[in-house]
Amino acid sequence: MKSRIPLALCAAVVLLIPVATHDGYVIQLLNIAILNAIVVLGLNFATGWTGQINFGQAAFYGLGAYTTAIATKAGLPWIVTPFLSVIIVMAASLVLGLPTLRLRTYYLAMTTIGFGEIVRLIIVHWEPVTGGTSGLRAIPGISVFGFGPQGQIQHYYLLVAALALAALIAARIRQSSLGRAMIATKDSEIAAEQSGVDTTRTKLLAFMIGAVYAGLAGCLYASSIRFISPDSFSGIQAVLLMTMLIVGGMGSITGCIIGAVALTILPEALRFLGQWYLVLYGLGVIAVIVLAPGGLASIASLIPRRAGAR
Amino acid sequence: MGQLVVNGLALGSIYALVALGLLLIFNTVQIVNFAQGQLLMLGAFIGISGAVTHELPVAMAWIVTMAAMAFVGIVFMVLVYFPLRGRPPFLVILTTIAMGIVLENLALIIWGPLPVSLPSPVRGPPLRFAGIVISMHQLFIFATLAVILLLQFLMLTRTRFGILMQATAQDLHTARLVGIPVNRTIAVAFAFGAMLSGVAGLLVAPIFLAEPTMGGSLGLKGFVVSVIGGFGNLPGAVIGGLFLGLIETFGARYISSNFRDAYAFIVMIAVLVAWPRGLFGEKSSEKV
Repeated sequence: MKSRIPLALCAAVVLLIPVATHDGYVIQLLNIAILNAIVVLGLNFATGWTGQINFGQAAFYGLGAYTTAIATKAGLPWIVTPFLSVIIVMAASLVLGLPTLRLRTYYLAMTTIGFGEIVRLIIVHWEPVTGGTSGLRAIPGISVFGFGPQGQIQHYYLLVAALALAALIAARIRQSSLGRAMIATKDSEIAAEQSGVDTTRTKLLAFMIGAVYAGLAGCLYASSIRFISPDSFSGIQAVLLMTMLIVGGMGSITGCIIGAVALTILPEALRFLGQWYLVLYGLGVIAVIVLAPGGLASIASLIPRRAGAR
Repeated sequence: MGQLVVNGLALGSIYALVALGLLLIFNTVQIVNFAQGQLLMLGAFIGISGAVTHELPVAMAWIVTMAAMAFVGIVFMVLVYFPLRGRPPFLVILTTIAMGIVLENLALIIWGPLPVSLPSPVRGPPLRFAGIVISMHQLFIFATLAVILLLQFLMLTRTRFGILMQATAQDLHTARLVGIPVNRTIAVAFAFGAMLSGVAGLLVAPIFLAEPTMGGSLGLKGFVVSVIGGFGNLPGAVIGGLFLGLIETFGARYISSNFRDAYAFIVMIAVLVAWPRGLFGEKSSEKV
């Protein structure tokens, strides 16, 4: 019960940020951070809970974004694009997941990296449709029967609501039998099978739910940032999403959000370091993995435990 | 046609060398090093610093590079391998990727983003044979691969070090208990693994030019080769490498050069769907 107070404080801070700052750049950055948090929450299903290494998450994000951008630019009403995006990413996650989810560790990592590269190459070279390396501009905004958010601050509140919903659904799934099956599959596939868990089905579901999160985040990205290019969904982005998950804390919903927001804002705050930033970034990731394998979320939870032990 | 075969095999030999470096480390500590491509890039740039900036003879630059890369390999082991012993492969993948990011950006700071060329250690007019042109550098690549392959085969099977390496790979703790100098064996494996990718870098730079970002895609090709051939499998790495070189060269010529980098992954996924442990099987699979 006492955990309600910090939660309420967090909510208040989140809701008051746009009042405190009118800097459009800061709000835009926060919007991207929130979208990343939704994608990382999705990644957490497959990687954090089920233990499947997935470097294809950025590609699903991109598929959702490009589907939405192409559809709305072609004149389709915005309201159909979330459904289109979900259909496309679900189909893609089935095509990738069905044959490859039985692969282990390095093999699965390589397959998902390969999938991401193939998607990126298609986006870059299918120029008439995707705009190639220069991307797509002037993407129509969110509009449901003529209503839609105007300006960055309204988008900010909409995205915060979307993230809260995404986190809530993730928490519900975690408590359901599917969520417990995911954790069991990660802990021991053999033991899970013995207890009657269909691990293949669980892995595929975790992978697909994660892809749907990414697809919907991509849909929101395209219609709220209004510009997309292949760079935002490249292999580097897949690695960054994975580090957000690890640095924040694998398996923890709060960890996913902390990791995504921190690692989206940090590069901008440290921009003055130039190229050195990425050197420090790499070393920082290694330090977190070595020193705090549970990520930032585990550091936070260590403090009360130590205090209680005294 | 014959020309494409020669070009494909030359490219494939380089992929095979990257895979051989991965294999050496994997066979000892069961770690797949996702920074192997960046080690290759580092080798190319150390060679360039020697041969171009300091005007050393190319052969001398090669020797300097080899020594420097052996050192880099050991530093790599201390920074990445020791803290990660016994951790899940997932964290190893991410740590080595992070190491790759560090190396790539250090190279950008040191050498700048512009592509640089390195002269080949061999000179002379290309051979012409039934309408096929084979450059001296391509011949040199084939010869290097053959020599390294022979040395690595002899080292792994005939020398004391090879046996120590295999024992370490089988079971680290037992190996230590029976008095094998485990850490020294692992250090040698990392040094050789880095040296091999350095050689690959020195061989690539005269053909493609060297730039700090070159490691990413070449490293991935090394893994694709390892996956196709089966991780830790020596003949698999070579055949897989040559096979991939041919596929890319022919695919770029007859299908589309835009998707040159995609063929590797498409073939890899197809192979994995049919044979989840690679065409030639994994060498010590129970430890992965």
